Amino acid sequence: MSETFEPKIITFACTWCGYPSANLAGVNKIEYPPNIRIVRVMCSGSVEPGAIIDAFENGVDGVMIIGCLMDNCHYVSGNKRAQERVDSLKKLMDIMGIDSKRLRTEWINASERSKFARTVKEFTDEVRALGPLPIPKKRKELKARTKEQTIAAVKQLIEDTGAFDCVECGKCTTVCPVAKADKEFAPRTIVLRAMEGIVDNIAKDRDIWTCTTCEQCNSMCPYKVDYSGFIRGMREEAAEFGAAPLCSQGGLIHATQRMMARGKLKQQRLGWVTKDLKIAEKGDVFYFVGCLPHMDAIFYDRPGLRLQSICESAVRIMNKAGIVPVVSNEEKCCGHDLNWTGDEEDFEKLMEHNLEVIKKSGAKKVVFTCPECYRTFKSDYQDLAGDLGFELVHIADFAKQLIDSGALKVEPSAKSSFTFSYHDSCRLGRHSGIYDSPRELAKAFSGSKFVEMENTKDKAVCCGVSAWANCNAIAKNIQIERVVEAKRIGADKLLMFCPKCQVHLNCAIQDKTPVDPSLVNVKIEDFTVALAKLLGLMPEGS
Amino acid sequence: MADDGDKKDVGRKGMAVYLCTCRDEIGKRVDTKAIADELRKDPRVVSIGVHEALCSREGQEYLKEEFRTKHFDRVAIGACSPNIQGLIVNRALEEEGLNKYLFEQVNIREQCAWVHPDKRKATSKAKSLVRGAIARAEKLVPLEDIDIPIKGSALVIGGGVTGMQAALDIASEGFKVYLLERTSELGGRTYKLSMTFPTHNCGICCMQYCKECVFTPKSEDVLQTKNIEVLLDSELEDMTGGFGNRHAKIRTPAGTKEIDVGTIIVATGSKTFDPKRIPELRYGNPNVITASELEQLLVAGREKGGGLKRPSDGKPPRTINFIQCVGSRDKTKGNLHCSLVCCTYAIGQAREIKRMDPSADVYIHYIDLRGPYRGFEEFYIAAREEGINFVRGRVAEVVEDKGKLFVRASDTDSDTLLNIDSDLVVLSVGQEPADGSEKIAKMLHIQTDIDKFMKDINPMFPSEFRRGIYVAGTAQGPRGIRYSIEDAKAAAASAVELMKRGKTKFPRIVAFVDEQRCRGCGRCEKDCEFEAIEIVKDPKTGALLSKIDEVRCEGCGACAVACCNKAITVNNFKLEQVEAMVRAIAEEAGSDE
Repeated sequence: MSETFEPKIITFACTWCGYPSANLAGVNKIEYPPNIRIVRVMCSGSVEPGAIIDAFENGVDGVMIIGCLMDNCHYVSGNKRAQERVDSLKKLMDIMGIDSKRLRTEWINASERSKFARTVKEFTDEVRALGPLPIPKKRKELKARTKEQTIAAVKQLIEDTGAFDCVECGKCTTVCPVAKADKEFAPRTIVLRAMEGIVDNIAKDRDIWTCTTCEQCNSMCPYKVDYSGFIRGMREEAAEFGAAPLCSQGGLIHATQRMMARGKLKQQRLGWVTKDLKIAEKGDVFYFVGCLPHMDAIFYDRPGLRLQSICESAVRIMNKAGIVPVVSNEEKCCGHDLNWTGDEEDFEKLMEHNLEVIKKSGAKKVVFTCPECYRTFKSDYQDLAGDLGFELVHIADFAKQLIDSGALKVEPSAKSSFTFSYHDSCRLGRHSGIYDSPRELAKAFSGSKFVEMENTKDKAVCCGVSAWANCNAIAKNIQIERVVEAKRIGADKLLMFCPKCQVHLNCAIQDKTPVDPSLVNVKIEDFTVALAKLLGLMPEGS
Repeated sequence: MADDGDKKDVGRKGMAVYLCTCRDEIGKRVDTKAIADELRKDPRVVSIGVHEALCSREGQEYLKEEFRTKHFDRVAIGACSPNIQGLIVNRALEEEGLNKYLFEQVNIREQCAWVHPDKRKATSKAKSLVRGAIARAEKLVPLEDIDIPIKGSALVIGGGVTGMQAALDIASEGFKVYLLERTSELGGRTYKLSMTFPTHNCGICCMQYCKECVFTPKSEDVLQTKNIEVLLDSELEDMTGGFGNRHAKIRTPAGTKEIDVGTIIVATGSKTFDPKRIPELRYGNPNVITASELEQLLVAGREKGGGLKRPSDGKPPRTINFIQCVGSRDKTKGNLHCSLVCCTYAIGQAREIKRMDPSADVYIHYIDLRGPYRGFEEFYIAAREEGINFVRGRVAEVVEDKGKLFVRASDTDSDTLLNIDSDLVVLSVGQEPADGSEKIAKMLHIQTDIDKFMKDINPMFPSEFRRGIYVAGTAQGPRGIRYSIEDAKAAAASAVELMKRGKTKFPRIVAFVDEQRCRGCGRCEKDCEFEAIEIVKDPKTGALLSKIDEVRCEGCGACAVACCNKAITVNNFKLEQVEAMVRAIAEEAGSDE
């Protein structure tokens, strides 16, 4: 390291107060540290959390947002919104291990030149004291691929996924949930284009990102073509040309995961572990939490969506059954989303790290609440790393085993009274084949009525989005239809295991819907949480 | 490649970068030549130049010549603030045919050369900023200004002296004016004043109380002007539409009236502070009155003869105490601001009392005497000469004792405590925004300040409060009658100028929707403070879509952040444009170490 570390600081300054205050400091020749670089924005409220995290990912050590004084925003309330967003982003940063002091908001009037200079100095000193952010600077260099190389890679992919066997029967398109909503989309034609060697537009092909990889097509294909695998591979090829999906949340989530993969950050991901929860550092059972704490911070503003209650519920259930699981602060994202958006390099980094962490804990069994984590370990990790040396079990199976073995008792007095259905998430159902345990567990809800939807088990319609890509009107249609389906059979609660399904279905029925709100008046809830409530382990309102 | 000399050649491509040394203001701290040499290696840059003053006539000529002879289609500039001289440079290039939106300027003077004495560091910072400008400019998209037709009619809200003046001025230029007044008469608060500074005449001719009338009755003027439609007992219910053509719904006694107007003057005025909020001043006592109530007593005294009579028993008061700053300059029980007019009116009223009864003892308790008006000092000196007692110090309380009133105060000049037996106490109450003005501000999206008065976009210059909306008079803060009328005339002149042109343009820095990505969830609609977004059903697909009213949109970008799928964003402030700039700056800043 050089003698003194000079931090790089980006300041987003609003056009009305932040930027002019800097100009005025200049006119008055008030000296301040040169570390700060100002980027002008219309309003402090227009600074995307995604842009802030992107700055950190690209080597910036501190970010400051300067807007008008509170109650004085040129756009009425932009600065208030900015503050709310920054507050929740700070939570996310702390979880990730980026000291939240690296992000600061300041409300400075256009005339407050000395305050501007003073603040800049203060912040620069503070960030200097924090030291450099341990995140490697450069993004992946694009490999200069020739057309021939791409054609060869796609050919190989066609071979590997059995796409050569496609007989163009069109069954896949018939069942594809995306094709139902988007007439121009068909899984078959993507394969067809690839088989004909049309790869020129691979970087611009929207279709390969539109697919939700829900594997409806896989399960229906008479020739067992692995469509989702094919799509995953195509995305990897497209990423070679710099293509990326249209990420929701402005790419914030993917950036978070990439930084986990590359950075040497000191995470603080156990903020949700309250004192009464029993967890261990070493032991037989490892509970893989996944991104729940991160997502909880990201979706702070969505009513009825407290994702941390899932991991809390899981630990409470295990504790009740006498199990003290290992919950690790060192754990990182499983890499599912990066794997499905063509970022193999970072995915592998995450995999290696996680396997190492689990091995160190001495666990023989790893429990998952998230179907995506489960699938990623079960299929993708094992594909790449061979036998992992420990058992993988999803909480649905695990809870059922615990109840069957008598370790977990549902008191006869435990009663619920609602009509509910179960939504098979694609990663748990079609990808992993877990259909029965959730239905067995559903029987434990005495007093409540379990109803099955029309499209269920391997025919379950997906939540419309995978890997936080392309959450558009088509996705929303799929989501709405799924909830309408549940309502139609009289369900007032829809349970599921996947936190992302929960985010998506919950989002779709909030705010404006294309159908009458009474048709989607269904409570979307996590199964693990519902189970914990039944066992009296979680309060009813959580 | 395009033909030479063709201004609108389509073959233009690439970036030009110009750095300004600002006649050594930048040059002495930033090595612009070194930056230029480095940037020349960037393959995107087709032309690069350093000039000593890009905003000068020569600088502009130089840029124009560059544009004529080179084939770039976008420009990145490192110079002073884009907010000031940047406009000059941009306009010069626009004249030659550059799309003005393909232009990015970073500030290497105020934000670099002037604040960082270390030349190496200043140069390195400037370089990274210019890199940022190039990265952003590369991603900018060409746009056209939005054409806005301006309707030739105006709405004036408030029929006080300000509103009436504005209405008269606009109407005299031939435009239709709707003058909205929520009470049943014109004139507002000024109507009730009998003697005003500095002439000691009535505020507005009322033809009833005052025998020394010199004004032509303004309200009659208004009523006789054909172009002015006076709407009494009426209130604004709703405002839709946008710049140039706003649609107002007005509740009138005859039912709801809907009108379309091109400009709006807000003259909602002020009200006086309610002294009940300061209980120790005993406002409930009949002999503790506000200045406005004293005004009525003085009028009655003049009309009926017999001088001033106090309310409790009709006897002429012998000792009168004026308490200044009631509700003003008082953070805890009133307002922080100074109401500006109270010193003046209190002295005027005190002098009137003395004129009626030279033997009366009149005290004015003040913190500072503030009257920054021409003629005030003379007015004050005259009052002193007439024997009015000025006591510097704030009154602690008014005490009621055995039917008597005692004013307990301190004279901070002589450091003595006073306990004055008082026949009449006059509270010089300050000004606050009129009731309902907050609602109107909200409806028109006018910012209000901490003091709740409406706030200018630029506090330095009288300006629009929103495009096509002007605020005049005490709605924007305490002021006297003369200054309110000046406001009214200025606002009316601006409105008239706009309506005479009949149309205007404004930059298309507004939100737009990528319909492919929109989910129609309506979060943008909810977060938009300007009601510029509406969720509509696509008639073809039945899907919900966000639709922007470009005229209403202010371009703040609140919607862009609210949108979870980033379907909505502000033109040329797209996430990828901002990110490109940040990344380039970060990369350059990193390469120096």
